[in-house]
Parts: sequence; C-alpha cells; structure tokens
Amino acid sequence: MADMATTESVTAEGVTEVFNAAAVKRLSTGEPEWLRECREHAWSVYERTPMPNTRLEEWRYTDLNKVLQLASLRLAEVEVAPGESSAWPARLHETMKQDREASGHIVLIDGHVVHTDIDPALAEQGVILDSLHDALGLYPELVKEHLGRVVPAEDGKLEALNMALWADGIFVYVPSTVRLELPIRVTRWISQSGAAYFSRVLIVADAQSQVSYVEEVISDDFNAQTLKSSAVELVAGDGAVLQYVTVQRAGCGVFVHSAQRTLAERDARIDTLNVGLGGSVHRVDLNAKLLGPGANSEMLGLYFGDGDQHFDFNTSQDHTEPNTGSDLLYKGALDGVSRAVFRGIIRVLPGAQRTDAYQTNRNLLLSSGARADSLPNLEIEADDVKCSHGATIGELDTEAKFYLMSRGLDRVQAERLVVLGFLGEVLSRLPLGGVIEKVTGAIEEKLSQPG
Amino acid sequence: MPQNETIQGLDLDEYKYDFVTETEPVYRAQRGLSEEVVRQISAHKEEPEWMLDFRLKALAVYESKPMPKWGGDLDGLENVLDEIYFYVRPQDRMQHSWDDVPDEIKDTFEKLGIPEAEREVLAGVGAQYESEMVYHSLREEWEKQGVIFDSIEDGLKNHPELFREHFGTIIPTADNKFSAMNSAVWSGGSFVYIPKGVSLDTPLQAYFRVNQERMGQFERTLIIVDEGAQAHYIEGCTAPVYSTESFHSGVIEIVVKKNARFRYTTIQNWSNNMYNLVTQRAIVEEGAHMEWLDGNLGSKLTMKYPSCYLMGEGAHGEILSIAYSGDGQHQDTGGKVIHAAPHTTSSIVSKSISKGHGRSTYRGLLKVHEGAHHARSNVECDALLINDTSRTDTYPYIEIEENDANVGHEASVSRIGEEQLFYLTSRGIAEDEAMAMIVRGFIEPIAKELPLEYAVELNRLIELEMEGSVG
Repeated sequence: MADMATTESVTAEGVTEVFNAAAVKRLSTGEPEWLRECREHAWSVYERTPMPNTRLEEWRYTDLNKVLQLASLRLAEVEVAPGESSAWPARLHETMKQDREASGHIVLIDGHVVHTDIDPALAEQGVILDSLHDALGLYPELVKEHLGRVVPAEDGKLEALNMALWADGIFVYVPSTVRLELPIRVTRWISQSGAAYFSRVLIVADAQSQVSYVEEVISDDFNAQTLKSSAVELVAGDGAVLQYVTVQRAGCGVFVHSAQRTLAERDARIDTLNVGLGGSVHRVDLNAKLLGPGANSEMLGLYFGDGDQHFDFNTSQDHTEPNTGSDLLYKGALDGVSRAVFRGIIRVLPGAQRTDAYQTNRNLLLSSGARADSLPNLEIEADDVKCSHGATIGELDTEAKFYLMSRGLDRVQAERLVVLGFLGEVLSRLPLGGVIEKVTGAIEEKLSQPG
Repeated sequence: MPQNETIQGLDLDEYKYDFVTETEPVYRAQRGLSEEVVRQISAHKEEPEWMLDFRLKALAVYESKPMPKWGGDLDGLENVLDEIYFYVRPQDRMQHSWDDVPDEIKDTFEKLGIPEAEREVLAGVGAQYESEMVYHSLREEWEKQGVIFDSIEDGLKNHPELFREHFGTIIPTADNKFSAMNSAVWSGGSFVYIPKGVSLDTPLQAYFRVNQERMGQFERTLIIVDEGAQAHYIEGCTAPVYSTESFHSGVIEIVVKKNARFRYTTIQNWSNNMYNLVTQRAIVEEGAHMEWLDGNLGSKLTMKYPSCYLMGEGAHGEILSIAYSGDGQHQDTGGKVIHAAPHTTSSIVSKSISKGHGRSTYRGLLKVHEGAHHARSNVECDALLINDTSRTDTYPYIEIEENDANVGHEASVSRIGEEQLFYLTSRGIAEDEAMAMIVRGFIEPIAKELPLEYAVELNRLIELEMEGSVG
C-alpha cells in the first residue's frame, strides 16, 4: 500500500521558474478583487497538494511524474495571435470550413480568443458568447456566480494550477427559455511548442433553455512537450438541455488535461462527448452531478490511439436525488503500442431512489503492443435502482471482417469498416451536425497512416 | 417459524453456532503480537531453525507494512490486535482417533456435526480448535494410495522436503500485510498431497472453530495436487458471538499441476464479531483446472479475494463467490485471475445479497499478460439489495496487455421486483416466503454447486433472514 508520509512532507511540489506565485500575480493584474483572491487561493491549494502518483487510485495507470515534464514548460506567450483571419494558419481555415451552420463561432489561437460571432437574433434574446476575459468586464455577476465553483481548485493538483494560471477561455450564457437550434462552434489552434496553455470554459444554460457546443482542438506536431489544460464548467438549470462536444486532434507532444463537471438541476439534461484522437497523453476527469429529480446525463467517449499515445478517462456519475438517470458509453480502438485507461464510477447516494445508471466501456485492441485497462465501478446505497455496468476488451471481430472480405473488400478496407462500425455507435448517440463526418474523417485518416 | 419477532432478534437467536465450550487450554501465549510470541509458537511446535527464521523475517515485514487503506474499515483493528491471543494450544498433541479427543472439544464438534458427516461422505476430516488441529483422519483406502491429509505442523515434520519446496512460494510473505502476519504466527491448517493420477471421489473436509473470547486464528494450508489428480477440499468456519472482536487470518497456498483438477470450497460462517482477512491463491499449471467456491455468510468484515494464476497453456480458473451481508457486516470479496499463458480461460461469477445496514463489495482483478494469447475470460457480478439502507459496491480491475484476448465484465444491481413479489403473493404465497423464493432463485447458480448439507443450510438461512424483511 501507499506510503503517504513521504509525499505529504513535500511542499510546493511542481513550483518551477515559470509556475510560481509571481506568475499568478502577473496574471491577476487588473482583475477584480474576487478573482485575484480566487487565483491566490488556487495557487495555495496547488502548492500544498502533492503531485498525484500512481498510488492514488485515480492515477493508478498514468504516472504523472513520468509523463508530465512540468519543469520544462513555459507559459504560452500572450498577444502573438493574429486577429486578422487572413493571417490564420491554413489548417485552421480548413477545419472551420468543414463546420456546418452555427449559432455562433469562437476561434482561439494560442489560448486567446481572436474571433467571436453570434447570430444577432440570439444576441438580442440575451444569449452571450464571449471570451471569458471580456465577459469578466461585461457580465461580472454572471461569471462570478459560477467561475471556479463548478470545478474548484480543491479538485486536484492540475485543477488548482489551471485556476491559478488560466489566461483566457469561453463564456456561454443562454437565458431562460431561449433555445439555440444550431450548435456554437469553437476552434482552437495552438502553435507554441513547449508552452503551457491554461483555459476555461463556462457554459450556463438557464431554466428551459437549450444549447449545444462543439469544440475542436488542433495543432501541428511538436518536438517539446506542450501542455493544454482546460477546466470545463457546465451548468443546466431546471429543464434546460446542454450538449457539450470536444474533439481533440492535437499533434504529437501535446499533453491534454481536461477537468469537466456537469451540474444538472431538476429535469435538466447534460450530454457530453469526449473524442480523443490526437496528442501524446490525453486525460479527462469528468464528473456528472445529477442534482434534481428528473435530471439526466448521457456521457459519451470515443478514442482511437496509435503510436505510443496514452488515453486516460476518469469518470464519475453522482446520483444524489431520486429519479435521476445517467448513461455512459466509452468506446475505443487501440493500435501500435498505444494504451487506454477507463476508470468510471457510479455513485448512488442514500435516498436517491429510482436511479437509472449505466456504464459501458468497450475496447478493441488492434495490435499486439496495444494495452487497455478498464475499471468500471459501482457504489450503490439505495435499493430501488437500476444500475449496471459492462466492460469488454477484445480483438477485432474477425467474422465481420471475413464477411466483408468475402464481399470483395480487401483486408485493410474490411478492418477499417469494422473499426468505424464499432466506434460509430458512440457518434450515433449524439447526432450533432457535422460531428459524425468530422470524427469519422479523422479516424479514417489515422487508419490510413502506415504503421 | 416464530412470529412477531424482529429480524434482528432472529439473527442472533438463529446463529446456531453461538455456544461456548468450557475448556482449559494447555498453553496460552500472552496477548498481542511480539517477537517473544513468535518464538514461543515456534518452540512449542519444535520447529527446525529455518522456520523460526522464516517467522521472524515475516514479523519484520508485517511491522514494516502500513494498514491497508482500501477495502473495509480497519480503523479499529490495531486496538483489537493488541488485545487478542495469537496462540492458544488446546491440547498436547493431535489425535487421529475421535475417541481420544478431549470430551469438551469433542462435544463442540459433535454439535457442529462432524463425526456424522465423516461417516457419511468424506474421504478425510480435519478439525481445528483455537490455534491447532485437534483431530485429523483420512480413510485408509486413500492413505494406501499415498494421499497425505494432515495438519500443517505434521506436514512440516513428516514431509519436510515436499513442504519446503512449496511453502511460502505461492503466497510470498510480503504479498500483503496479513500474509506477512500469518507467516509470522501461523498455526494449524492442513497439509494435503494428492499423488499423480489419484482421484478422490469424495471431499476432504476441515472445520475451523474459534471458541474463546479475543482469539486470533492463523490457519495455514498447503495443498499440492500432482499431475492428473483430482480432489475437492471443503472448509467451514464458526465461532461463538462475543461482544469483543476476534480475528482470523489465513493463508491458503495451492498448486494444481499439469492436467489436475481441484476445487476448494469455503463456507465461512464466523460470528459477527470476527475480522476475517484471508489470502488464498492457486498456481494452475498446463491443462489444469482450479475452482474456488467461496461462500461468505458470517464475520464482521471479510476481505478475501481467492485467486488463480494460470501459468500453463490451457489452464482454467473459476471463481464462484457468494456473499451475504446483514446488519453490521461488510463482505469485501471477489476474486483475481492472472492469465500468464496462452489459451487460458477463466470465469468469475459473484452474487451478493445485502440486507438491513449490510454492505457487500465485489473487488476483482482480471489480468491478461502479454503473450497470453487466446485468453478468454468472463466476469459476472450481480448484487441484490433488500432494504434502502443496504449498500453494494463493485470494483473490478481489468488489465489487458494482449490483443488476441477476449474478456468481458458485467455487473448489475437490483432489488426484489414488486412485480415478482406481487405475482407470487397473488398466488397465495406469503410475502416472506416469496422473498425467500426470489433470493433462492438469485443464488441458485452457485448454491447448486455446494455440497448438499451446505446448500440446505444456506436455504434455511435465507428463509430466516427474509422473515420480516418486507416493507
């Protein structure tokens, strides 16, 4: 068992020439008092929290001390991003071109919002789509109510670092009863090799409103480790519907950490889809809280690893009230010497009767070097519940492959179809415009790469 | 069945093993664990030097390991361990004839039904009372074929080479804190050897009885099933109910050699003041077949995960686990299977019932090492919750390093459906009886594997426990 004494005695672990109190102070210059305090508090939590190690159940299969080189990172440089779209990289334009209709767009380059647009009719109804930075000045009360409260610094070492050092982010607010028919589309481009990016997303959907948000992260390959840290705070009021999709297509060398929490009030629905395709290490910590009767959450995940990519999804479904539901499906295919970890837990607290909670993780191992670990957990303290989980790890369905080959497809094509069919189940559960095509295209691209 | 009584009352009244026998042990070590106690145990057993060294090293390992932070609540355990007797010697030497066992001890086992059972079906019987085996016998026909069924101490004395070849190699001292503790203070348990090709058609059975208050029992069992042999070993455990806690920590090591088949059945029915922390592991060689049938009905807290290490091609491991947790009980049980060779197969089926404030936890590991191609495994866990205060958890670990493997895990949690109950009661069946029928149906896949006497006992227990549990 873990010997905690040694780690507890170490203070200020992870404080570097770049990540230190002076950086926090510099970032908070000109910010409102409450936010400065918030950052300082987060920094103190960061300093006193030991770096997670593999003795912690949540980090059992991802050794942060090995895979994250904090000391070599520098903070992303500010104000180098071009505001003019003509100066944007070609790949950013290409990616955006694939997007279909939208209620609005945000483009971030190197952590800063360089473009925002929103359907004027929606703006008139009070819908807000803005950089977090600007929103602080324009809607201080709205931001203050939630920022850093949904994903607080106390959640963990990386969450604390994000709260202390975030540079910018996205704020979405949808007033009560306003329903967005089309998604908000966000594209992030990062270009600085060896940099650390800290950003936050805060989406608040008031009672009976509806909004969907689709984000894509792209970058080139980097020689030096580059950190992309984000904290995602999703709040749905009574009867609201909130859909959050993030497609991670970063380049080699990127360490992606995303801390996400969803708060669904009475009869609200929050659906999430995490797609992991790029990066070197991709870790998601997702907690869904079903806070009011009738609240529901669909939690979807899809990952395709090759090379030596490492994915780690750590999810939890918290049922605290009666009559709530959650349904999780994470599916992945792994090639090369890539590795995936899924650790999920359903918690049904005493009194949360008539909970329906499900959890499924399925993995396809495509090569002999690939590896998958799956830990689907249940903690049930109410009796009138329907809860189940399932996990499978296996090889490609050879019968399906041979069937396709008998119809004239070659081996590569047949395998590709079987993998796409396997993963496609996840996408079909959240059919937002353009997402299926975009993700399918990205997987095909990966499948066609040699080795 | 008595009417108008609370279920809690029934639980206590009906734990039929709650009786204390007045006996005076021939020796009792001081309370608590110390080097002195370890030396006394070794001296009393007249052990060779290497075993004393083994024990003392184990004590150091035990002391260096922190208390586990996972599993059940072990917060109060250190205090309990300071107060218990680690070694109580009930009589001077072990008996091979039932008539020679002291009357009081005999009485105890008569109440547990041992001589009767022996006459009827068993190939051999062992009985442990406090720290040592007081009786061991094996049918002559098996003895003639070279079967060894003895106390672990006699195994060390009479078969030193076979003993030393395997002892402590399957579960190393440092495996966990409690395997280290057992390695330091082990006393009692069985030594079993089934020679090549010998097939026992009836089970060997060992009974473990804790009688006195504040007792710690540390059985150590070593079983070697040679190539092509077949056998079945059953252990049962009971103790009287005391207001203070008792402690039982066993280490069970098993080797199932090429093409052999072995089944190990546990019916653990300790009283509800017992900590039961046990390490059980089997090495399963080429083409061999190992089954754990693990029934946990008693104890305050049980932490026990029988495991199969599938080391040879085509080896098969099976774990059937059934747990019942009533008020004040936590069964943290499950199983582990390690696939370390090609074409190995395994299955884990776990069923648990939690009632009142009881908590049942499934904890398991399924690992497929690189190179264990064509491994197949399936895990199924079903939990039944009787009351809204009951709790169940499922913590499976699945680690796969080989792509040419197929593994699956499924778990479900349910309570007794109102439709099921309504259907049965509308047919004129009383509600309690209907509950018991549904629970019996739930555990049937495992209960049917039990020896008949235990299956009957289990059914009776369910009927009693379901009495008054409706509503």
